[in-house]
Amino acid sequence: MVSFSKFTLDNGLRVIVHEDSSTPLVAINLLYDVGSKDEDPSATGLAHLFEHLMFGGTSEIPEFDTPLLLAGGENNAFTNSDITNFYITVPAENIETALWLESDRMNCLDFSNKSLDVQKKVVVEEFNQRYLNYPYGDSLLCLKPLAYKVHPYRWPAIGIDPSHISNVTLSQAGDFFYSHYAPNNAILALAGKITPSQAMKLAEKWFGNIERRKITTRELTAEPEQTEERTQVVERDVPASAIYKAWHVSASRKEGFYACDMITDILAGGESGRLSVRLIKRKKLFSEIDAFITADIDPGLLILHGKLMKEAKMEEANDSINETIEDLKTKYVSAAEMEKVKNKYESSVIYGNTSILNKAMNLAYLELLGNPNLINEEADLYRGVDKTIVMDTVHKYLNRSNCSTLFYKSTRKER
Amino acid sequence: MSEIRQMKKPLIKQVDPGKLPEPSLLFLKNGIPVYITDSGTEDIERIEFSFDAGSIHENSPLLASTTNLMLIEGSEKYKSTLINRLLDTWSAFFHPYVERDRAGFVIYFLNRHIEKILDIAGEILFHPVFPDSELKLLMKKRYRKFLIEKDKVYRLAAEQFFESIFGNQHPYGRQTLPADFSNLDRELLNDFHGIYYRPEKMAIFVSGKIHKDILLLLNKYFGEIPIQPVIANEFSGFPSGQKKRVIHIEKKGALQSAIRIGAPTINKRHEDYFGLKVLNVILGGYFGSRLMKNIREEKGYTYGVSSSVVSLNLSGFLSISSEVSNKFTRNAVDEIFKEIRRLQTEPVPVEELSVVRNYMLGELVRMFDGPFAAAESFRSAWEFGLDNSYYTRFAARIRSIEPDEIKAIAKKYYKIDDLYEVTAG
Repeated sequence: MVSFSKFTLDNGLRVIVHEDSSTPLVAINLLYDVGSKDEDPSATGLAHLFEHLMFGGTSEIPEFDTPLLLAGGENNAFTNSDITNFYITVPAENIETALWLESDRMNCLDFSNKSLDVQKKVVVEEFNQRYLNYPYGDSLLCLKPLAYKVHPYRWPAIGIDPSHISNVTLSQAGDFFYSHYAPNNAILALAGKITPSQAMKLAEKWFGNIERRKITTRELTAEPEQTEERTQVVERDVPASAIYKAWHVSASRKEGFYACDMITDILAGGESGRLSVRLIKRKKLFSEIDAFITADIDPGLLILHGKLMKEAKMEEANDSINETIEDLKTKYVSAAEMEKVKNKYESSVIYGNTSILNKAMNLAYLELLGNPNLINEEADLYRGVDKTIVMDTVHKYLNRSNCSTLFYKSTRKER
Repeated sequence: MSEIRQMKKPLIKQVDPGKLPEPSLLFLKNGIPVYITDSGTEDIERIEFSFDAGSIHENSPLLASTTNLMLIEGSEKYKSTLINRLLDTWSAFFHPYVERDRAGFVIYFLNRHIEKILDIAGEILFHPVFPDSELKLLMKKRYRKFLIEKDKVYRLAAEQFFESIFGNQHPYGRQTLPADFSNLDRELLNDFHGIYYRPEKMAIFVSGKIHKDILLLLNKYFGEIPIQPVIANEFSGFPSGQKKRVIHIEKKGALQSAIRIGAPTINKRHEDYFGLKVLNVILGGYFGSRLMKNIREEKGYTYGVSSSVVSLNLSGFLSISSEVSNKFTRNAVDEIFKEIRRLQTEPVPVEELSVVRNYMLGELVRMFDGPFAAAESFRSAWEFGLDNSYYTRFAARIRSIEPDEIKAIAKKYYKIDDLYEVTAG
C-alpha cells in the first residue's frame, strides 16, 4: 500500500507526497503536461529538444548540475508523446537544493543561441545514434505514420526528421517555454524520507511565488477509426528480416487497457508466452518476439514485433502470428494461463514499489490521468480481468481491419 | 518575474554514507555460504546464486554463457517448457548472468512462493539435462542476435578493444566468431557444468524482506548436496595486450563512428584504485565530466561520451567510449587525449574536486539504498575478497584525496603511449 497525500498551490501546481522512511533519499519528480503531441507537424522534436535546453542553466543558476552534484544528487529526464518528465534523487537533508533548482528553471529559463545551437547538434547525434545508425532503429519511425494518419502520435518524440531539429529558432524555443512550462501545467511528486507537512511547506516555499501562465489550449484531432488493413514494405541492410504490427487500442488506464496489457503477456510474455512457445520453439520462424502497449493518454497502440529466422518466409511468419491471435477469439485462455499473467502483474506492481523514484514517477503520471490511487488499485484491476473479457477484447481490437503491418525486409545477401 | 523571487540558495549539507552494515553470514550444512541483507518494505525477496563459473574458465568460446542459458532448458524432473511456465506462473523475475569471472542467476519472487521457487532453482542449478534440440535452437537464436550486434558500431569497437588490450588467446579478450556458434555440444556443457556448478564454488546472497525459515528452506534444497574436495581451477594465465595500439574497423554506410580508448589497469585490490575511480569520474564518469562538457556540451559532436574503470579478477581496464558524428571522429579523439593530458599536467581545481567528491558520496548512498542495491554492492566487493568496509574506506578516500595525488595517478595510469585507440564506423 502506497499512502500519499496531495494538495494544490494557489498558482495551480499540483503536489503529491509519499513518505517512505526506509530510505535516506528523496525522489523528486516534476512532470510537465507537454509532449510531442503538442508540436506542429512541421516542427517536430521540439518538446524533446526543449527537455535538453532545460539543463542549460538560468541567470540565477548558470549551471544546473553543479549544485545538485554538490548535494549528492542525481537527475535525468525523458520526453514522450504525452509528457516531459524531470526527476532527481538526493539525500533527504539536501532536498531544498533540488527544489531550488527545479523551481528556478520553471520560473525563468535563460535562452542563448549558443546553448540552443549545441543542443540541436547533440539531439541530431541522438537521432543518429538511436534511430538511424542502429539496426532496426527506424522501425517505429516507419510504423507510427502507418498506424496514425491524423493524430500527432504519428511521429515519435525524437521527431520526424533531424532537419526539423536543426531548424528550431530561439524565438520558437522561448514561445514553447512560456506556453507550456508553468506551475499550472505541472505535477510535482515527492517520495522518500519526507513527511507530508514538510513537503507542503517546502513546495509552497520554493514554487509558491511562481506566477501562473497562459497555457496553449490543446486541440488534438482524434484519429479516425481504421477500417482497412494497412501494410508497408521497407528494405534495409540488416542481418534479418522483421515484422512490426500495430493495432489501435484504448487510452492508458481506460476501458480495455488492462485486458490489452494482459494479452501482450499471454502472447509474448516471458519464455512461456504463446508466440514464444509456438513460433520460436516449435515452428522456429522467429529468433525473438515481443509485444507491448504504448499506454498513451489518447488511444494508443498494441505493438507486436519479431525478428525472423534465416529460413523463415515473411508471409508464413505473418500468417502464424495471425493464427495465434485468431485462436484467442475462439478458445478461452485456460485458468492456469490467466493465473500466470495475473501473478506477473502482481509481482511487477510490488517490485515497482521497492523504488522511491518509481513511486514518484507513477504518482505524478497517475495524477495527470486523474487518479493517483491507481497505484494501489491496479493489481486488483488486473486481477479483475477474466477469460471472457480477454476474448471480448481480442474481438474488439485485434482485427485485421484495425491492423498496420510493417514488413522490414533484409536486403543482405550473406545471412 | 525574477524580481519577486530572489530565492536564497539553500545550504548544502555534507553527504555522508555513514557506517555501511555488513550482511549477516550463515552456512548451510554442506558449507555453502549465505549472505543475508534483511531490510525490505515489500513482501518480496531477491536471491542470487553465484558460481565461480564465468567465461574465464571456458576453453571453447561461448561455453560458459551457453551452459548458463541452458540451465532452464530442462532438468531431470522438469521439461524445458515446464520450467519456463513454472517460473512465469510463480511470477518470478529471473535473470541469468555470465560475467568474465562469475556466473549464476538472480531471482526475484514473492515470499509466499519461496518453496516452489527454491525447488525449481535446485533443479535448474544441479540437475540440468541440456537437451540437444533446445541447445540447437538456442545457438540459432544467439547467432541471429550476434549478427545484429555486429551491425552496431559500438559493439564492433568494444569487441576489438578487448581483443587489443587482453589478447585474442585469453578469454577476457577473445572475440566471438560465427563458427563458435556451431562448436558446442551436450558433452561440453555437461563437463563444464560438472566442474563449475558445484556447491564448493557457490555462494548465495539473499536480500529483501527475509522469510523467517530461510535457513531451513535453503538447507532443504541446497544443504544436502554432497561436497567434494575443491579442485583448483585450471589457470588460464594472465591476459596480455597486443602490439598494435591504433585500429580502425571500417563499416560501410555508418552515420556515426564509435570510439574506444583505454588500457588494462589495476583492480579493487590495489591501493591506488580509489584514486583512479575519482580520476575517472572527473574525466568522464558523470554528466558534468570534462569529456561531456567538452565533446558534448561545448562542441556537440556526440549524444554522449563516458569513461569507466572496471575490475576483473585477473586484471582490470579503463576505457573511454563514445559514438560521434563521422565528420568529427578525429577531432573527438584529439579532444579525449587533450583532456587526459590536461589531467596529467594541471591540478584539478578544488571547486571541481568538491563537486566530484559529493557526487561520488551521493552515489555510495544510492548504492546502498534498499536491500537489493545493498546486496549487489556487497557482492561486487565480496568477489574480490573484500567486504563493505571497502566502501567505507572508499568514502574516506574520496574525502581525503588531493589534486596533486590525482595528477600523479593520471600520469601513472593514463600513460598516453600505453593507451589503445579503436574506432569503428
